[in-house]
Amino acid sequence: MIKLFIDGAAVEVPEGTTVFKAAEQAGIALPHFCFHPAFAPEGTCRLCLVQIEGSPKLELSCSTVIREGMKVVTQSPAVGEARRGVLEFLLAEHPLDCPICDKAGECKLQDYSRDYGLTESAFREFKEKRDKKVAIGEKLLLDRERCIQCTRCVRFLAEVTKTHELGVFERGVRTEIGILDGVPVQNGYSGNLVDLCPVGAITDTDFRFKTRPWFLSRAESVCPHCGRGCNIYVDYHPGLPRVPGSAKVFRIRPRTNEAVNGPWICDVGRYGYVRAQNAGRSDRPFWNKDGAKTELGWDTAMAILGDKLRALVDAGRADRVAVAATSWLTNEELFLVKKIFRDDFGSGRIVLCDPRPGEGDDFLRRPDRTPNARGARELGFDPAPPALEALARGTEVLILFGPHIAEHFRPAELRAALDGIAVKVLVTPHLTGLEGLMDGVLASATPAEKDGSFTNFEGRVQPFAAAARPCPDVRSELEILAALAGSLGLRPDYYGRLTTAAAVRRELAKEIPFFGARA
Amino acid sequence: MLKAIGYFWELLKGGWITTRHFMTNMFHHTLRLFHIKTKRPGAVTYQYPEVKKPLAARHRSLHRLMTREDGKPRCVACMLCATVCPSECIVIEAAEDADPEIQKVPKSFTIDLNRCCFCGFCVEACPEDAIRMDTGVIDLARRSHDDLIFGLDKLLK
Repeated sequence: MIKLFIDGAAVEVPEGTTVFKAAEQAGIALPHFCFHPAFAPEGTCRLCLVQIEGSPKLELSCSTVIREGMKVVTQSPAVGEARRGVLEFLLAEHPLDCPICDKAGECKLQDYSRDYGLTESAFREFKEKRDKKVAIGEKLLLDRERCIQCTRCVRFLAEVTKTHELGVFERGVRTEIGILDGVPVQNGYSGNLVDLCPVGAITDTDFRFKTRPWFLSRAESVCPHCGRGCNIYVDYHPGLPRVPGSAKVFRIRPRTNEAVNGPWICDVGRYGYVRAQNAGRSDRPFWNKDGAKTELGWDTAMAILGDKLRALVDAGRADRVAVAATSWLTNEELFLVKKIFRDDFGSGRIVLCDPRPGEGDDFLRRPDRTPNARGARELGFDPAPPALEALARGTEVLILFGPHIAEHFRPAELRAALDGIAVKVLVTPHLTGLEGLMDGVLASATPAEKDGSFTNFEGRVQPFAAAARPCPDVRSELEILAALAGSLGLRPDYYGRLTTAAAVRRELAKEIPFFGARA
Repeated sequence: MLKAIGYFWELLKGGWITTRHFMTNMFHHTLRLFHIKTKRPGAVTYQYPEVKKPLAARHRSLHRLMTREDGKPRCVACMLCATVCPSECIVIEAAEDADPEIQKVPKSFTIDLNRCCFCGFCVEACPEDAIRMDTGVIDLARRSHDDLIFGLDKLLK
């Protein structure tokens, strides 16, 4: 451990630490553009300058390694003047088109200019004109006027994805970022460039011009698109009065968790949700009666399902219920499925029906396409695709969670098997064509819209909170299961408590040691 | 009885105020008749709506959106007006413009005048001087709420 003094306060840090990180440890945030904790220091932006006693000039804190007894001053007139000078040079070439810039509101150049009181410019000449809309990837646009050449994007592609699509071209005032030989950035992680860019030089066509960042609230959630369980922020608009449909999710951003995903997420996770929210959403429950679709209120829909189940229970045939769960459900929901249908109904036909695994990569993406395969396994679900024959034979009520069964069987096969079942109910957030075979469809919430927890492939139980509900008429599977248990009058002293994700999670921890150890 | 006297007293007071205003106005109008300038002009009743009172230059009336020289809206859909609006009555949807110098234009710009409180913050917030409240239109009564929701077509007129 080496002891040094930052702004008079003694700090002890391990050998080899940079002044920047030592200051961070001491609770002093230094302004910076080019430095990023995931990369080696670059030292191009010259903004993290500090005064070090004994040094004739100001030093870069991001690349200066500490020495024993070093005295660092991070705030002084000389430091302030230097940083102000750096910012003024950056702003001299910056277009100041904040009103139409997607980064405005979370832009570091904006923040620092305000912090250092740069309201007027000594630069009276015309600004340099550069390309304002260069497509550098499928969803990425580069604005060369806004670029401050911090090279974070170049270093991300060189150090993290190792695909080297972007490079720095020319020198001096003509320096610019560009793609090599017209090959666009396409590596499955390209969306991270948008978060990395400290200004609005790289913007995302998915988010471009949709809203302004300050309208958005954020919820801490977990990405549901593979077993990795990357930590994410769901940025959503809470909605405006009298504007229907204004509450919705606008973007997904990575939430740094060194143990799971670091500061990155893949493009599937980033763009998957926003697309899923808009396309093919099932937004309210309906019942197919005599071939016609009848939209129902939740009370009616739940009453119909409740009546059918109660009829079975009363006739002593409760085990004739078959349930196909999916590991898209949270731990809590899978637990309730197991409790209600296996333990209380005594049904042996509880299966797991997941989408087919896809391709993974050697970074974050996993081959499994569901967020909670590990959780389902720990709860005793068999991950193998179900046998249709065994699921359908003698079944009177079938409850399907998610439409993934259609991936495993041909439509004719499925129709033949399901025809014999009296009541078929699909609980799904998305309509994919399977609903035509069903008697009833209950519209459920997507993972970003509900509370719960997922267990990632390493066995990490990660709770998350709900963001906006773009479709007000959907309910989470947990709410559906709890309401079902309530309307069937199953052990009210037990299920009566289990109406929130937190309560079920507590019960889960109590009953299953795997979750108890991770609560 | 005492209460009745109180009412009567208040009536007299009210009558006195009316009389005072009448006499003051009469005094000023009479002086003006003889071309003697006074500080106050004396109150005038306008035959509204046939005759309209002239509005002060800075009077905040119905909004309008300004246009560029080529007739396109000056608004760049930065949504600062929607941000500052205390009654949350402005809703803007942005669209991409082919001109890289403009880039962002409003696809829709809606002011819900049912909610608007005419504070004029939107005019102050606008970085492009694209919205103004200087049309002088103050007769905004409509027969339905929907008629008071103004879109781009009405605001650009």
